[in-house]
Amino acid sequence: MKNVRIAAIAVLVVAMGAALGANYIAPASYEQQFRESPSASPSAQHLLGTDDLGRDRFARLLHGARVSLVLAPLAAAISTVLAAFFGGMAGYFGGWMERWALTVVDLFLSIPWLFLLISVRAVLPLNISPQASVVVTFLLLGFLGWAASARIICAGTRDMMKSEFVALARATGFSGVKLVRLHVLPNLRGTLLAQFWISVPVFIITEANLSALGLGVSEPLPSLGSLLRELQNVVTLRPEPWIFVPLAVLIVVVSCFQILLNRLSMERSSSERTSIERPGAPA
Amino acid sequence: MALKLLRLSAIMLMAGLIGATLMRIAPGFTADEQQLNSSLSAQSLQALRQARLANADLARFYLHYLGGLAHGDLGISQSLNQPVRQLLRERLPATLRSLAIALILAWILGLALAAAARLSGSRAFTLTADGVSGLFISTPAAVLALVFVVLRWPPALAAGLLIFPKIYRYCYNLLQQSYELPHILTARAKGAGQWRVLAWHVAPTAMPQLLALVGVSISIAIGVLLPIEVICDVPGIGQLAWQAAEARDLPLLVNLTLTVTFLTVCATTLSDVARQGFIREAA
Repeated sequence: MKNVRIAAIAVLVVAMGAALGANYIAPASYEQQFRESPSASPSAQHLLGTDDLGRDRFARLLHGARVSLVLAPLAAAISTVLAAFFGGMAGYFGGWMERWALTVVDLFLSIPWLFLLISVRAVLPLNISPQASVVVTFLLLGFLGWAASARIICAGTRDMMKSEFVALARATGFSGVKLVRLHVLPNLRGTLLAQFWISVPVFIITEANLSALGLGVSEPLPSLGSLLRELQNVVTLRPEPWIFVPLAVLIVVVSCFQILLNRLSMERSSSERTSIERPGAPA
Repeated sequence: MALKLLRLSAIMLMAGLIGATLMRIAPGFTADEQQLNSSLSAQSLQALRQARLANADLARFYLHYLGGLAHGDLGISQSLNQPVRQLLRERLPATLRSLAIALILAWILGLALAAAARLSGSRAFTLTADGVSGLFISTPAAVLALVFVVLRWPPALAAGLLIFPKIYRYCYNLLQQSYELPHILTARAKGAGQWRVLAWHVAPTAMPQLLALVGVSISIAIGVLLPIEVICDVPGIGQLAWQAAEARDLPLLVNLTLTVTFLTVCATTLSDVARQGFIREAA
């Protein structure tokens, strides 16, 4: 299992490196058209061939991976910060504040956010630039996807506020921002990181679904999701294996995140069991 | 119970308001694709703009909407020019049917695989089950829907395959934790058979959490069905939401958000009531 995890980390590092270095590795720009060779098969010049508009698929894959792999973590960071703020406030203050915060969380959990996402994404200006569309798509993911994490962070903060080390810190005069900064936040780091890493693959898949429906990243800017739109041709035209490469990359990248998340959840559940066996020990 | 109903109603109304607010504040709300139609006269374009502006005052729109809702009037769809109530009546059965099939398949697969993986104790089987669930969890719903279109398989099965990994993983972890509880270890030590331990000791312990998962799985299923209905051309509310989003149809989108929120809240409330009833019975 350890080897699988190392392989997953290696794949993610390579994918991230290739995505970040797209400008240097890619043989062409993502929007450059090779008008003399549209729908070309793979060759030395075009490793994955070209699409209907004559754009190099390999270049678009690298740039698409950059959009997804850089912006999904940014959206995850936004949702984790929001979840930490609302969940942390609720758990820290407790009482009516917690009840209200959890009602807001329930409200957001009750709204099917894919419905909300397509609604809001659909009413963006018709002349919105591709760059703005990609930023807005991931911002929406970040702002709408925080609720489930907030509930977990609230529970973690609430438990911590009842722990002995926080009681000791309070007894020695720590309160307010100082208590949060020095004791609560450092001990919540594991939970926050877990929520962050859980959100990244979820946002990559959600963006892929939105883009496949034509409501994600606008042309000509590619993302791992928008590249999947080409697969719709498979239904009508003869299947060409290289069309499936973006899908394979997407599945491999998300699977690698899942492998690492499984390990994280196993570590967390074993540490929770340890803390149950030793009452009072901080999780 | 009265409090729960009140909370349910408040959450639904707030969900509709949040949906409407987000759509209203989106910068392109007042724009209509028809405005790009060069064959329309200046008067027609002005009429289009007026129709959009009629919904621009959010407070007025929502109060008017609530007034209509109290009389069972959900308004008229701007894009399809039909009463929203009629559209929902036509589309909801297809979605509910897909939802039921998908959930039954997902639960049978998820529970059976989790139980088999735990009972067999075979590392190879667990790895295979993890691999299969990982593959489906990493596949965008839109892509699997395309595969089902090509193979001409029922779309509801695609939804089932996308929901089952979440049920499988949760159930497997739950079984792992349950099997480590002292009373279950004692039962096994006393020589109780595998099936007896599962049916008499593990299932009652895990049941409250499984009942909670039923509510959550319905919410997941609704999100998964949206892209599947669009790609597979299933005339359900997911497809309707996509059409409404494409056409920027605010009344229809608000009603769809409310309807889906209603389904989600009802499902989670029912599963919560069942869970509490089970805990009371067990006590």
